[in-house]
Amino acid sequence: MFALTLKTALLEAWTARASFFTQVTFMIVNDLVFVAFWFLFFNRVGEVRGWDAARTLTLLAILATVTGIALGLCANARHLGEIISSNELDAVLPLPVDPLAYLLVRRIDTALLGDLVFGPALFLIFGEPTWERTTIYVLVSLCGAAVLISFLLMLGSLTFFMGGRGEQVELGFQAILILSAYPIDLFTGLTKVIMFTAVPAAFITGVPTRLVDDFSWSQAALLLTVTAASMLGARALFRAGLQRYRSGASWSRA
Amino acid sequence: MGPYLSAARSGARRALANPAELGVRVLFYIVVLVVLVALWGAAAEANGGEVAAYSFIALAWYLMVAEASVIGTKPRLIEQIGTDIGGGMVATEMLKPISVVSWRIASELGEAGARLLCAAVSGAVFITAVAGPPPHWGALGLALPSMLLAVTCIVVAQHLFGAISFWLGDAKSAWYLFQKLVFLTGGMLLPLQIFPPWLETLSWALPFWTMAYAPARLASGHLEPWILAGQLAWLAVLAVAAGIAFAAGERRLQVGGG
Amino acid sequence: MLAIETEGLSKSFVTGRGRARLEIDAVHELSLSVAAGERLAFIGPNGAGKSTSIKMLTGILYPSSGSARVLGYVPWDERRALGHHIGTLFGQRSQLWFELSPRQSFALLTAIYRIEKNAAARRIAELAELLEAADLFDQPVRSLSLGQRMRCELAASVLHEPRVLFLDEPTIGLDLIAKQRFRDMVTRLNEHKGTTLFLTSHDVSDIEQVAKRVVVVNHGRMIYDDKVSRMRRSILSTKLIEVRFESPPQALSLQGAHVLKVSGAGYKLVVDTEQRSIREVLDELLDNYRVADISVLDPPLEEVIERIYDVSPTQKDKWAPT
Repeated sequence: MFALTLKTALLEAWTARASFFTQVTFMIVNDLVFVAFWFLFFNRVGEVRGWDAARTLTLLAILATVTGIALGLCANARHLGEIISSNELDAVLPLPVDPLAYLLVRRIDTALLGDLVFGPALFLIFGEPTWERTTIYVLVSLCGAAVLISFLLMLGSLTFFMGGRGEQVELGFQAILILSAYPIDLFTGLTKVIMFTAVPAAFITGVPTRLVDDFSWSQAALLLTVTAASMLGARALFRAGLQRYRSGASWSRA
Repeated sequence: MGPYLSAARSGARRALANPAELGVRVLFYIVVLVVLVALWGAAAEANGGEVAAYSFIALAWYLMVAEASVIGTKPRLIEQIGTDIGGGMVATEMLKPISVVSWRIASELGEAGARLLCAAVSGAVFITAVAGPPPHWGALGLALPSMLLAVTCIVVAQHLFGAISFWLGDAKSAWYLFQKLVFLTGGMLLPLQIFPPWLETLSWALPFWTMAYAPARLASGHLEPWILAGQLAWLAVLAVAAGIAFAAGERRLQVGGG
Repeated sequence: MLAIETEGLSKSFVTGRGRARLEIDAVHELSLSVAAGERLAFIGPNGAGKSTSIKMLTGILYPSSGSARVLGYVPWDERRALGHHIGTLFGQRSQLWFELSPRQSFALLTAIYRIEKNAAARRIAELAELLEAADLFDQPVRSLSLGQRMRCELAASVLHEPRVLFLDEPTIGLDLIAKQRFRDMVTRLNEHKGTTLFLTSHDVSDIEQVAKRVVVVNHGRMIYDDKVSRMRRSILSTKLIEVRFESPPQALSLQGAHVLKVSGAGYKLVVDTEQRSIREVLDELLDNYRVADISVLDPPLEEVIERIYDVSPTQKDKWAPT
């Protein structure tokens, strides 16, 4: 079913291919600017707290892959708030499917899929892709994506309880994106704590990058646990919210 | 002068009308500052306390001002201008007694300026708390008008790009392009001195340094008043270019019968 | 077996906070039974509780009290199981992907409902013929007119051969001809496969042309439940004619019609179509008077409901008109 949706979404994007190509091109240009930035930075500054250009670019590669999956493939994750507030859920509930899974699969943002090409390309060029590193890269990217998706879903599910139109999702998304784009060891104190808890940027790029460069079973276990916990948490929150929605407690329309 | 001043005031009021939105923007600005200060702080630390002759405090103030100057930018504006041109706005403008384009620029300036003020104040408080007081008060004094000039350059340049976007037919790309050029060659991500020589020269040749680097450089403690002159010069060039682009757009409309 | 049965189904909402807290009875003790293969119209003005009722029956909303069973399932508890056997067509929502052809959307639906490929192909061909939509299935949805799109939506909603089809305001936005066609198609579906139809609408013509049975709700309460034929005789047999003459006639006398209202050269007439057909009245009007402008209207739903209160004594006793 996922494959079918993917095919359908790609078909749909193809029908408007001019704008599709421009969008993807500009995204790649966007990403390249950041690559350029890091080159310039490390060229002048040298290694910083154990991070150099190669390592940071590996981080970027992971980030791109993660966003490609979370925003490209599971595009609805970002839009859950709007979906709830516009009662689009009503169209999904009578179907014989699990609403959350269906929503995640239902929409694909083909422009952001470009990141799914850019990320691996970046890794292959700068990430020293040995078999071991590549396998870890793929696995941690999947975990990171799951964490990001869960984060977005949880923010979106808040709409069940708070109302509004899902603005909190975009805010949280921008915040986590900013924090995930930089080497984690730059941050100290309160910021670092936040990155490991409320805004789990650490598990989207921080810990994953560490694992690629310097694999340790304890870190891997940590990542896996957090991934599982966030997925379960997201599902639980969505379920609770859906229950509330179906009880009509959040009804506001005449 | 009258109508333009009132336009600016209404723009400012617009910016302040939605405190929640403004608050969120300023919050993001601070988050970005947190990240960048962490980055450059670590960088300075790894390099014996300074990078490219910028001390940590200088860098902190640089970043604060660079980010603040850009925060007024509205992605929608370029798109809006492109649409308006397409809608024949320019044509009707030419018939009005005062230049509506200038009026609009004044209004946008008011809005961006108000935002800039909020950001700058919050940023100043934050940076002072985190890094320390401004390295050179005189230079900071110059940085204030420089910021206003920077914002003006941004708004005018956006009008230019808006007109270009009308030609290209795609506003989003124009915006992306604009934003990246400002980020990189404008010195928003890195002070120009960090660039390799060829890139630095290129950036000087482009107008974007007036939009972030200029006030930031001053705020970071470098007393270089000629920067202001440079900004004024580029502002004039941008204004003329925007005027030409608008007129060309209008002509195209007439030819195309839009 | 009963397709749908409800017993005291109720739903109330709470809005506002603190002092301004209001409890709204969207649906109040709805009890009805629908046999398999029936065509039921669920009519009422806006806010009468129609959409809420359908949402409960399709499992979207939990009721506040009461019970219901659709095809033996409790909708809100067994939503996914029920989903395989019901179809939904909500007037303002589309199941079809906009840029693609309906056929491509069907492929996705086939996967969702787990229809076997050959069966699906046969079904699509069958629907293409039944709904006269063979040439539509392969065009992108965005290039179809609203009427054409609704036919494809209809196909999409019954692709999996549901036993009950819920339609919520399906003819909204359609022009008269498209509405007619749509009603025709929906009726065919019912006749062809015995699909139970549960249709909500605030268009009175939907009652006349699609349904065999009508339930009228107002303010969440059921105020009428009977065969359409009987309703037609007692309530729906009137039509309104608004006519503007070139110059006010001296005396207007028409058989089968009497004057409701006069303003200058504009007359509003009520015709009892049981007595005399509209056609005859119009013919006489146009033959004998100089008519500048004329339109024929259904009585508005609100008036129908008022008449329901007048006509059905039982209802009148139970609930006072608001």
